[in-house]
Amino acid sequence: MSRLLKPFEYLEPETVEEAVQLLSKYGDKAKVLAGGTDLLISMKKRKISPQYVVYIKSIPELDYIQYSQEAGLKIGALATHSTIADSPIIKDKFELLATACGKVGTPQVRNMGTIGGNICEGGPSQDTIPSLLVLEAKLKLISLHSERIVPIDEFFIAPFKTALQEAELLTEIQIPTPAPRSAGCYKWFTKTVRVDETLVGVAVLMSLDSTDGICSDLKIGLCSVAPTPFRARRAEEVLRGKKVDNTLIEQAAQVAAEEAKPRSRADYRRRMTKVLVTEAVNETWRKIR
Amino acid sequence: MKQIASFIVNGKAYELAIEPHMLLVEVLRDELGLTGTKHSCGIGHCGACTVLIDGTPTLSCLTPALTAKGKNVTTIEGLAEGTTLHPIQKAFIDFGAIQCGYCTPGMILSAKAQLDKNPNPTREQVKQALSGNLCRCTGYVKIVDAVLAAAETIKKGGK
Repeated sequence: MSRLLKPFEYLEPETVEEAVQLLSKYGDKAKVLAGGTDLLISMKKRKISPQYVVYIKSIPELDYIQYSQEAGLKIGALATHSTIADSPIIKDKFELLATACGKVGTPQVRNMGTIGGNICEGGPSQDTIPSLLVLEAKLKLISLHSERIVPIDEFFIAPFKTALQEAELLTEIQIPTPAPRSAGCYKWFTKTVRVDETLVGVAVLMSLDSTDGICSDLKIGLCSVAPTPFRARRAEEVLRGKKVDNTLIEQAAQVAAEEAKPRSRADYRRRMTKVLVTEAVNETWRKIR
Repeated sequence: MKQIASFIVNGKAYELAIEPHMLLVEVLRDELGLTGTKHSCGIGHCGACTVLIDGTPTLSCLTPALTAKGKNVTTIEGLAEGTTLHPIQKAFIDFGAIQCGYCTPGMILSAKAQLDKNPNPTREQVKQALSGNLCRCTGYVKIVDAVLAAAETIKKGGK
């Protein structure tokens, strides 16, 4: 009977160590399987046909959400979008990330797909990434002989090309506790319907000084409007250290739109970048005041 | 190369010889004859292949069968008790929420998972829960009506 997938060998490590040993042994003949919502589609379309599929969801120590004020938030790479979107601690203290994970795909896709798999896919339009950028997430990558921490804004090189090396496994996402008097949000719009590809995604994290409404920090993360998700750093500078007002917000949004490099529907998406950045900064500002 | 694996489907245990590249939807349909679960878009958009794995709506067309071994898999065939339909199934019939029937198994299972988690959903919450199940026939209104009616039946202790 002909099957939808080409044959492969199925490996099911029970620890991270076993997993990286297998990845090291089989190199580019192996692919990591977690939720499968990206990998299985690529395999069905014959874009990739790995000889070895290394299923890592049986590794118990990779699915967790831990938080403390000092250490910040630590999310295991196997935490699903559903778990993150529904997590009381993330909804309370890192709301924009819960919002972003709640937007991914459909309920079924969110139940299956993992944050680690999503990050490693490295696409330009992934909803989770702008929030991780503004939260200044760091990624823990483990291989047979090394362990390294990579800031997320150094992870995306080109569309679907990340800094993940062969035989390396993303195990943890580390997010520092934001400064007091901070808030954030994630705003987006889609092509036609609610469950749809994101055409412009904007995450904002802002901190206000305890005096006089001065913006002590502003971070703006964008997806879908450049080859990779990125921080609109010139736009951030417009408001950083200044007293927030509507004129400056509009200026920052304009600069963000200029920093965007959308591939298709470029004019429209640049204009919508300005609209969404304005909305996002305004909403965040209201939340803090 | 086939391996023997244990599956629990609708409460029954099976020992099956499975090749690693078999998808869960293929095993359910071709090995177990449970053809209620459909393979439709194949890329995770339509939800026609939805089953519950340990109560969680999951796309069986993107799930290698071996990853489901040892877990509780529920298909549409597992809802009725003998010839007594589940309240959601009955409501779908009563409300005219079934036309061609292709989306129905996945739709009912997503609805069941939602009502199990939240027995008192708003209309908006029902729509959200079903947003991964596409229907080309009904226009969804009667489907949502049916789910809300089933919620009422279940709350009143109806079975």
